Amino acid sequence: MIGFLQQAITGLMVGSLYALVGAAVVLVYKSTHVVSLAHGQLVAFGALFFWLFLGGLGLPLWVSLIPAFILTALLGLMIERLTLRPLIGQPLFAAFLMTFAIFILLEGVYVLYLKGGSRSLPPFLPTGNLVIHGLSIPINQLVSFCVAILLFVGLSLVFKYTKLGLGMRATAEDHQLAQSAGIKVRNIFSYIWILSALVAAVGGIATANVMDIYYMLPYIGINGLIVAICGGLDSLLGALMVGLLLGVVENVGAGYLDPLVGGGVKDVAAYVVLLLVLLIRPYGLFGLVRIERI
Amino acid sequence: MRPCGVFDRSYGQDIAIVRTWQHWVTLLTALVLLYFFPLFGSYYLISFMNSLAISVIVVLGLQIVSGYCGQISFGQAAFMGIGAYTSSILTLQFGCPFWVALPLSGIMAGAIGIIGGAPSLRIKGMYLAMATIAIHFVVIWLILHLEITGSFKGLYPPPPRLGGFEFDTDERMYYIIMSVMVIMTYAARNLVRTKVGRAFVAIRDNDLAGEVMGVNLYYYKLLAFFISCFYAGIAGSLWAHLITVVNSEQFTLLHALEYVGMLIIGGMGSIPGVFFGVLFIRILNELVMFTSPVLAKTFPWLGSSPAAALGLMAFGLAVIIFLIFEQRGLAHRWEVFKASYRLYPFAY
Repeated sequence: MIGFLQQAITGLMVGSLYALVGAAVVLVYKSTHVVSLAHGQLVAFGALFFWLFLGGLGLPLWVSLIPAFILTALLGLMIERLTLRPLIGQPLFAAFLMTFAIFILLEGVYVLYLKGGSRSLPPFLPTGNLVIHGLSIPINQLVSFCVAILLFVGLSLVFKYTKLGLGMRATAEDHQLAQSAGIKVRNIFSYIWILSALVAAVGGIATANVMDIYYMLPYIGINGLIVAICGGLDSLLGALMVGLLLGVVENVGAGYLDPLVGGGVKDVAAYVVLLLVLLIRPYGLFGLVRIERI
Repeated sequence: MRPCGVFDRSYGQDIAIVRTWQHWVTLLTALVLLYFFPLFGSYYLISFMNSLAISVIVVLGLQIVSGYCGQISFGQAAFMGIGAYTSSILTLQFGCPFWVALPLSGIMAGAIGIIGGAPSLRIKGMYLAMATIAIHFVVIWLILHLEITGSFKGLYPPPPRLGGFEFDTDERMYYIIMSVMVIMTYAARNLVRTKVGRAFVAIRDNDLAGEVMGVNLYYYKLLAFFISCFYAGIAGSLWAHLITVVNSEQFTLLHALEYVGMLIIGGMGSIPGVFFGVLFIRILNELVMFTSPVLAKTFPWLGSSPAAALGLMAFGLAVIIFLIFEQRGLAHRWEVFKASYRLYPFAY
């Protein structure tokens, strides 16, 4: 029982990171209906920029967060301005293919910078373990878990109450209607990409906190996309729930199934979950039931 | 667009692949040149042509399922892997000759492709693309974890033999690969003008309207996946016996993305587009290969071997540029060019 709980808690911690990346994908989908593969790279670059200032230049934590966030936001803005804006009015599928092209382009830059090596962040959060009834929780992971939950609460509030959030929701419904109500749809697109790049950067920094910055980091973004799709693409709550669930399933599944099949369940669990969800509830577990019947 | 003075007087002429005697001359010359190429081509060019032809076969399959049937698939590399492994296992463990293993590996990949295509019955577009990515990772995971596939070590299939003759060099394999490519190209070109091909196009353009017209969506979508994966499986088998070593590193998601990129650049819904796309990306890759040592010398901060990273960047950039400026791909440019010389000296 203790073993199960321990694995579940580790899974929750990892799951909160997936949920963050999933939230970044959901944000973009909510207002532009573009599903983005490129967020894997935003995650990786967020972590890399943070490393540049914290590990590379040796700046203190709070000082290095700011330029890292600014640079990632700029990257998100550039993606929107240079590549997705020319595609407005084209089929949405072209935009999806565009994000995959961006993924590859940035993957090249990322690989070129890392040169096959890896970078590890110096520990910037309190280390040590919190032990409750024999369950140990690493404090640095607990901090990033709490940050993730707070960010989710904040995002939900922004979408519910602020003018900007309402504008984003209106844009998601119908571009022309939103425009006639006085919302600047183009600006909304830029804001949403900046916001989502920031969320991705938080996810990246939190991920780099528990693992090295290495060549697999962008693929965390694919897990984030899986979370977003399973959660229903337009549901922040869905992203949070499925993200946590996926983390738990991965860890518990690995704990119980690895001895049976000889290891590696962790690498494939997310994809099996995605296939099952797509076959049973293609519109996701929490999303609006709006997908076309075919 | 027909050349001046060429009129179709029957349905047969209208759908003919080769229309005029000029076409026949060009086609036969091209075929003769293709088969005599190893006599004057260098070793490097021959192996380049081999990998080119294998990519052409894979992308032809992708063209059928994505370009004609409209179901995008990011799983092509995994199905190529299934073909390569099936063929290796058949020849190594069951002593099956290559000539039997080649079609069997295509059928095996196609059969698994039907399972992979099953989600397409309920989802489409981006959802389907994600499902195929998931299938890719599941297949690669299985390859790494099953006993029979040799796990990380991979397999070492023998080169094909015919009687006492062993096809153990690139130059000898060239004839097999080119023959298969020519047959597969003809099959694909022929397929898209048959009832099946028209059903695919109907599904792509409007699946609902297609169904109302009597196109059985389930049957034709699964058929499209079967054919596409059959192509990938055949290509995988050729690949396995060409380089005689198979491991999971040869079939990554980046390879699958590369095939989709070739399709976008070549142009969706056009068989010549496949050749343009594959040629464009391969030549781009070779250019990067040649220039990267020079770049690495001039700019030391690029590191000692920037070729892989620069290749990715060039590829991503090319796809972005084509998506923004020419979504119909090089095939469309080719059509424009053909129309212009056929109409010469008239304006229209």
